[in-house]
Amino acid sequence: MKIKILIASIIIVAALIFGAVSFVETNVEYTDFQSAMTSNKKVQVKGEWLKEKEHGYDAGKNEFTFFMKDDNNQEMKVVLKGAKPNNFEIATSIVVKGRFRDEYFYASECLTKCPSKYEGDAETMKKTL
Amino acid sequence: MVGTYLIYFAFLCAVVSIVSNYITFKRKDDRYIQLTRYSYHFATSGVMTFCALLIYLILTHQFQYTYVWNYSSTDLPLPLLISTFYAGQEGSFSLWALFTAVLGVFLMQYSARKQFESEVMLVWSLVLSFLLLMLIVKNPFALIWDSFPNDLIHSGEIPMGVSNFMWIDQARGIWAQFPSEGKGLNPLLQNYWMVIHPQILFIGFTSMAVPYTFALAGLLRRDYQGWVKIAKPWTVFGGMVLGTGIILGGYWAYETLGWGGYWGWDPVENSSLIPWLVCISSIHTMMAQRRSGTFVRTNFILSIMCFIMVLYSTFLTRSGVLGDTSVHSFVDAGMWAYWLLLGFMVFFGALGIGLLFRRMKEMPKIPVEHSIYSREFALFLGASTICFAAIFITIGTSSPIITNIIKGRAAAVDIAFYVKTTLPLGIIIALLSGFGQLLWWGTSKARDFLKVLPVPFIASLLFTIVLFILGVRDVVIVIFTFASAFALFVNVVVGYRIFRGNTKYAGGAIAHIGVAMLFLGFVSSARYDDKQTVSLEQGKTVNILDDYELTYVGNHAIDDERFGFHVQVSHAGSSFMMMPTMHFSKFSNSTLRHPDVLNLYTKDFYISPLSVETVDKKKNNLTLLKGQKKNILGLGITFIDFDFSDVQKGKMLEGGTFNIGAVMEVEKDGKRERIKPLMRSSNGAIDYIPAKSIHGDAEITIVKIQPNRENPSDSKVEISVQDKKSGPSEPQAESLIIEASVKPFINLVWMGTVTLIVGFVITIIRRVQEAREKD
Repeated sequence: MKIKILIASIIIVAALIFGAVSFVETNVEYTDFQSAMTSNKKVQVKGEWLKEKEHGYDAGKNEFTFFMKDDNNQEMKVVLKGAKPNNFEIATSIVVKGRFRDEYFYASECLTKCPSKYEGDAETMKKTL
Repeated sequence: MVGTYLIYFAFLCAVVSIVSNYITFKRKDDRYIQLTRYSYHFATSGVMTFCALLIYLILTHQFQYTYVWNYSSTDLPLPLLISTFYAGQEGSFSLWALFTAVLGVFLMQYSARKQFESEVMLVWSLVLSFLLLMLIVKNPFALIWDSFPNDLIHSGEIPMGVSNFMWIDQARGIWAQFPSEGKGLNPLLQNYWMVIHPQILFIGFTSMAVPYTFALAGLLRRDYQGWVKIAKPWTVFGGMVLGTGIILGGYWAYETLGWGGYWGWDPVENSSLIPWLVCISSIHTMMAQRRSGTFVRTNFILSIMCFIMVLYSTFLTRSGVLGDTSVHSFVDAGMWAYWLLLGFMVFFGALGIGLLFRRMKEMPKIPVEHSIYSREFALFLGASTICFAAIFITIGTSSPIITNIIKGRAAAVDIAFYVKTTLPLGIIIALLSGFGQLLWWGTSKARDFLKVLPVPFIASLLFTIVLFILGVRDVVIVIFTFASAFALFVNVVVGYRIFRGNTKYAGGAIAHIGVAMLFLGFVSSARYDDKQTVSLEQGKTVNILDDYELTYVGNHAIDDERFGFHVQVSHAGSSFMMMPTMHFSKFSNSTLRHPDVLNLYTKDFYISPLSVETVDKKKNNLTLLKGQKKNILGLGITFIDFDFSDVQKGKMLEGGTFNIGAVMEVEKDGKRERIKPLMRSSNGAIDYIPAKSIHGDAEITIVKIQPNRENPSDSKVEISVQDKKSGPSEPQAESLIIEASVKPFINLVWMGTVTLIVGFVITIIRRVQEAREKD
């Protein structure tokens, strides 16, 4: 009986350690461009799209390139794998996930946040009167 | 108003049901039994009536109700209009309450036959009353002028032409205006999946409360064995419905939403997977307890956790706590809903676990009689492994909360976390679902075991070797494939034998065949999919991937927002027409991309539209240095200088509006003229104003200015020149950019699902019959 409990506890502890290590390894930390430039890990940066700067989609490479500035107002050229994300124009803030390499931030994912998108605000309401 | 009162009425009846059931339970007599039944039935009628009322309000477009206005509109077809009932939080909680109330009626009759009525209905009424409390906070019958009092409540004369109004206080001349049209349903939800998927999921969520209720009833009655038999068919039913709901959601994402796959480990998906895994694991340990009376505590804990995980998932996805970390937009539910959801979870958790601890000491010790080589032990190991999967997925999904507490900043885990942690568990689950079928209850003799083992073992070994030769080289994937194939072959062999003997006992083997097929399907379609992004110029044939010839034929407008893109696909001698669509939605001001799937026997060919690019042959960009001349479209264009007169006048410092001009000289056929396109800044917003050349038939627009103050001759301007003369008759080259992918043997996933469900159905039939038998 004691051996059973011992084996069971070893398995449980091992599983938990495995889970914890994976968790730390794969956690995509929120950070800014300054620390993204020195980090080798995948990180995510929240900021704003700089609409007035050049941007465009390269069909050959399937890359959407744009400029964004993070919460510390640091600007960065971002190369996103894929097409221009949904709601990009109206997003109040965007979050890019990826790595900094050479001189650009290469993003594998981009989330757009539109807080009042589906919520009833007074302005939309007035239009439906 | 009536709706709100009905919610209160149903809530009060549910409370009466709680109290009367508690008294009945305590006194152990039937004096109040009629009261318990009437109060519960009244509560159910109340819920049904307010749900009917809400549907009526939606169907008749009563936009004076905030909820109706917020999610529906007059232009929706009937099925979608009905589905707006549960498009928002208030409505989906109403749906949950409705299913809970109705299921309770059946549960009451069922538990009355089993002499479990007052305990079961006590707990069930508690669940219902909490859902109704939620509806009191998030009331679907809120009036729109209460939501926007400043904009809608007026006093005095009603202006001419206003017909949508309601008197609030006619004596004092106070009236409220309300909208004549609703905001409409989010276009992402506008398809047939929205009509069926949420109900199934909510029936699943509702069913997860049944094992919880029976477990608590068992604890209250000090019946530590009998409740399992009664709860078993319901638990299997819940597992089946929730499982169906989950996979339908995956199919929705794959087929319509264009996520590229059927599973994205998104919090919303995970939140239904976690309770399902707990439920599945409890089905296994319940089976062991039915057989040998062991795992008493385990079954209590798992049955309680089934429901607690539903509540936790609801908290995660409904309270706004996940915030910025997912592609789903989580609406902030408000402080009340947040605390209520949290309280909901803590209350039912504390109730279940607390009661279990109080009874723990008096529970009889069941001596463990089975050996390690027994089916009981295999079931226990399997259930534990599934639980570990549930724990890991819970940790991953809760990552924003965990990191917020530890580091003060929410961060989600990468999808890799889920793959990494669940893959080894999947291997163990697959192996166990194979070995477990070969083991006997109590203990197994090596001789019996070895008699059945060789055939499936050799078959799966050969299968894996073939796949290895075909190119499956990743070690973990090879092991996973072997384990899944082993599970498949063992269950086919064992299942066939049982099936011949007694069909109704084959449910387990069939369900496991389904799981093994699912696992193999996951490997082939997700690990060995092949994708390529390609730009298809209209009319030109492109060969991609494994010899697929794609030709973009053209597009047509489905309606004023939707466009279908016709792509001809030729592969292996056959030709198909595919039509991915793009939806330029005004509602959410965004582009929704819908894929098209070509389902072949051995694979899916999947086209996801990315964008349409028009290469405008009449438009050209060029960059000019000061004084430089370039020829384009038969024009000679010289950049003379910038015009900073506005800036020099100091307008830039004052703010407001100022122009920066770029003086350009346009030369054509010996005629020259000077024009000045402008860059206008008004309060920080930049506009580019083009200038037309009269005899040159061209229009010049500034793209970018790069003045150089230190060295003015280095000043540059980028302009775009457009030929105005050549009309729209000149064809423009249009390119469709798509992501094409081949998903081998994805049919295994769908077939596996169907097989799994068939297994569930057979098991339910058997367990219902078993529960009917008298002990």
